[in-house]
Amino acid sequence: MDSIVTAASVVAAGLAVGLGAIGPGIGQGSAAQGAVEGIARQPEAEGKIRGTLLLSFAFMESLTIYGLVVALVLLFANPFAG
Amino acid sequence: MQRDSEYLLASSLPQSNASPPEGGEDRLGGSRDSSSFDESTLDLELSGEVNLAALEEYAQLQRSIFTTALVVTVLSFTLGALFVGIQFSISLLVGALSGLIYLRLLARNIGKLGKSSKTVSKVQLLVPVMLVLAISRLPQLDLLPALIGFILYKPSLALQVFFESRSRLSS
Repeated sequence: MDSIVTAASVVAAGLAVGLGAIGPGIGQGSAAQGAVEGIARQPEAEGKIRGTLLLSFAFMESLTIYGLVVALVLLFANPFAG
Repeated sequence: MQRDSEYLLASSLPQSNASPPEGGEDRLGGSRDSSSFDESTLDLELSGEVNLAALEEYAQLQRSIFTTALVVTVLSFTLGALFVGIQFSISLLVGALSGLIYLRLLARNIGKLGKSSKTVSKVQLLVPVMLVLAISRLPQLDLLPALIGFILYKPSLALQVFFESRSRLSS
């Protein structure tokens, strides 16, 4: 592999994971905070709150996974490698 | 309203302990203490039942999500094997099973939230990492079908939300 392509792939992989994790990280943190507060206020609604949290986490974390997959493809299965 | 009265009852008892009545009232105070102990035990039992019911509700939601995801996986595997090819469908199946493992780990970590941990763990993110590493090592697996299989849990979740809202509307 060309050294410039290698360097660019490594930098792009880091950026993909790093930048892609900022938004979901903030969102998951606030969602978990809201869920814990809700469970503390209404313990009888714990099942529904946890279920909603599971669904929202699964959709939020997929954004992180997209960045992770792009980074891993760039590192281990790079389509630009000659 | 009931919570307010419980709160008032709980806050009035320490005051009676701080300045106990004299003479025969002492025994009455003691009986009050025992009744409050009974009430608090009852409250704990009730909260335990509520907690168990909530946990059962969460477990039932997980079961229905995994059932839907399994049905979607089997359907997509069959359609892929029929219309595209067996290698495509095997990669799809591997990705879909990884997605199920990921979802199981996520559900377990969310179940622990607030009990044994304050944050949701990120262990489940190791599953896509292992999947991509396995794809890069094994030439029998293709990247694109495996990634499509991995995100097959999302239509299952969407279907689950759809069914749930429909059942709520009908009831």
